[in-house]
Amino acid sequence: MFKINISSIIFSLKNLKKTLFSNLFNTIISLLIILFISKACFNTFEWLIFKADWKVVTTNLPLYAFGSFPPNEQWRPATWIISLLLLSILTLCGPEWKWLRKNLLKVWVGTIPIGLYLLYGGIGLSPIMSRHLGGLTLTILLTICSSFLSLPFGIVLALCRQSSLPFVEKLSSIYIDVMRSIPLIAVLFFGQLLIPLFLPVGIEIDRVWRAIFAFSLFVSAYIAEDIRGGLQSIPNTQIEAANSLGLNQYQIIQFILIPQAIRIALPALTNQSIGLFQNTSLMAILGLVELLGIGRSILANPEFIGQYIEVYVWLASVYWMVCTIMAVLARNLEQKMTINQANF
Amino acid sequence: MRRLVTGIVGLAALLAGCATTNQDNSSRLNLIKNRNELICGVSGKIPGFSFLKSDGSYQGLDVDICKAFAAAIVGDSEKIQYRPLTAAERFTAIKTGEIDLLSRNTTFTLSRDSSGGNGLTFAPVIFHDGQGLMVKKESKISSLKDLANKSICVGSGTTTEQNINDAFESAALPYTPIKYQDLNQVVAGYLQGRCSAMTSDRSQLAAARSGFKNPKEHIILDDVLSKEPLAPASDGQDQKLADAMRWVVFSLISAEEQGITKSNIDEKVLIAKDNPQLKPLRRFLGIDGGLGEKIGLSNDFVVKVISSTGNYGEIYDRHLGPNSEVPIPRGQNELYNKGGVHISPPFN
Repeated sequence: MFKINISSIIFSLKNLKKTLFSNLFNTIISLLIILFISKACFNTFEWLIFKADWKVVTTNLPLYAFGSFPPNEQWRPATWIISLLLLSILTLCGPEWKWLRKNLLKVWVGTIPIGLYLLYGGIGLSPIMSRHLGGLTLTILLTICSSFLSLPFGIVLALCRQSSLPFVEKLSSIYIDVMRSIPLIAVLFFGQLLIPLFLPVGIEIDRVWRAIFAFSLFVSAYIAEDIRGGLQSIPNTQIEAANSLGLNQYQIIQFILIPQAIRIALPALTNQSIGLFQNTSLMAILGLVELLGIGRSILANPEFIGQYIEVYVWLASVYWMVCTIMAVLARNLEQKMTINQANF
Repeated sequence: MRRLVTGIVGLAALLAGCATTNQDNSSRLNLIKNRNELICGVSGKIPGFSFLKSDGSYQGLDVDICKAFAAAIVGDSEKIQYRPLTAAERFTAIKTGEIDLLSRNTTFTLSRDSSGGNGLTFAPVIFHDGQGLMVKKESKISSLKDLANKSICVGSGTTTEQNINDAFESAALPYTPIKYQDLNQVVAGYLQGRCSAMTSDRSQLAAARSGFKNPKEHIILDDVLSKEPLAPASDGQDQKLADAMRWVVFSLISAEEQGITKSNIDEKVLIAKDNPQLKPLRRFLGIDGGLGEKIGLSNDFVVKVISSTGNYGEIYDRHLGPNSEVPIPRGQNELYNKGGVHISPPFN
């Protein structure tokens, strides 16, 4: 084992010599580039470890995570985020427990009502107003709720666009085209600033939910197109076969079309949800203190003035971590689905 | 299908209801009282004026003004919902009723006050500011003229941007504005050396400078480009709320004029109650005269305000005084009898 390793290292070194140091010119260029890269790495690490003052991050950790959630209730969002994290790990490992493996999807969906209950309170827990939500909690809430709402809406739109009824088909095409031609920030502005203008004085939709609805309306148009791509790639013969088996319209959609369309559209859907997660940072310029917004508020604290780089590097790494978790989960799901497909 | 029809009918009814309730001229003041909570628009991003503390609470001069309003209107200075707003969305937020009032470093100008402009109404000025320029000492720039052909960092969508343009145009000097979305980005741009100077209100320059690693290496030029009277604002249609806000701010100033502070307010109330001849004090503290009710507040609103936030001088010292984290000399913001411009009309 060890021998093979050494020989492979020698081989790769030889390879390296052949590609990078074959003549004088190449050697000089390679050396310069290596010097440049190591200098850059050195400076970065020097800054990260010695120069940067991470106090702006360490003293404000609860703020980044929970916003201005009341301190003695912070276990609630913490429980939610940790359980989401554990569930992700569990999903990746592939649980041994058969019941859980079967109902994994239901457990994931179940985290939404549990999360909402924990965050907003109600029976048995003290109620919390949504203005207290903030930081990573709010970012995750926005992402999860919007994707959960936009998926069914997107599927319905995609099916309507395939419909044989011209009215339904046109309506959904118009909706999709209009939504795709408006920038997301305009939709969010509409949701945050104009909807309250149309509602009567007494009735108010919470601003967090306005954001969630705006995100869902926007993203569902894109999801609809992704799903339509999936639907169109299913050969017509399958529908004919299903018809001849005596399945009705709904059964065909439920058992034949949707499962396959979603599987095909999965990479695109992953893209959407990661994009959605990052787009929630747009809410910072609309006054919601989600992860980016809270970072910008912390920067105004006289104690931490001027520590932009630390805060933004920290925020970037948090965004990177969450996006990576989402991407890894989706890849895992794709692999499992291909295995299932092979079993057909 | 029937469901769809009932849905549409319901929506139509909702919209119709909306049209009728909008016509009814009930003041926002009653709405705030019924809600038992004030929704106050703040910046949340200006050191000394409003910012988020590590424990998640808002603090600053603008925030204390919100607290004074809440104490007067709702009766409790803690019953406030803060809405962090950016400069671009602040007026829309008032117009849509998203917030009750704005206490967010807003410059009082004609076009913002007028019904032909932004249609707001301003409460009395709570902080007199002026736009200035900050440069690095080593750059040897000492006046506006030295900045010809240089680049200047400026926040976009504010009066700041307009003022710097006016100043350079009237002096016929060319310059390059580098625009950022908010002050913290302007500061970052300036510190990273993207521009030779940064411009903003002098108070904000001082606040920003106090956080620099070497504050002494930066100087604020003597040129003052503008008057920037910063004042809380509310919807111009709503006279009742505007009146209440106006007199809450005046009560803060008047209390300082009379030497009434957070610590001696209870004592002053007792003195006023015992001495019927102290007519002005009794009117001010709401024992006689029923002044509070005339503006839709309780008669003792001054007592509530002062006992929760203190007078104007106390608020100023707490956030911008010499011992605070963002010291700004009081200068114009002193009382009229100490060389400043703050004065309260009589409480009669």
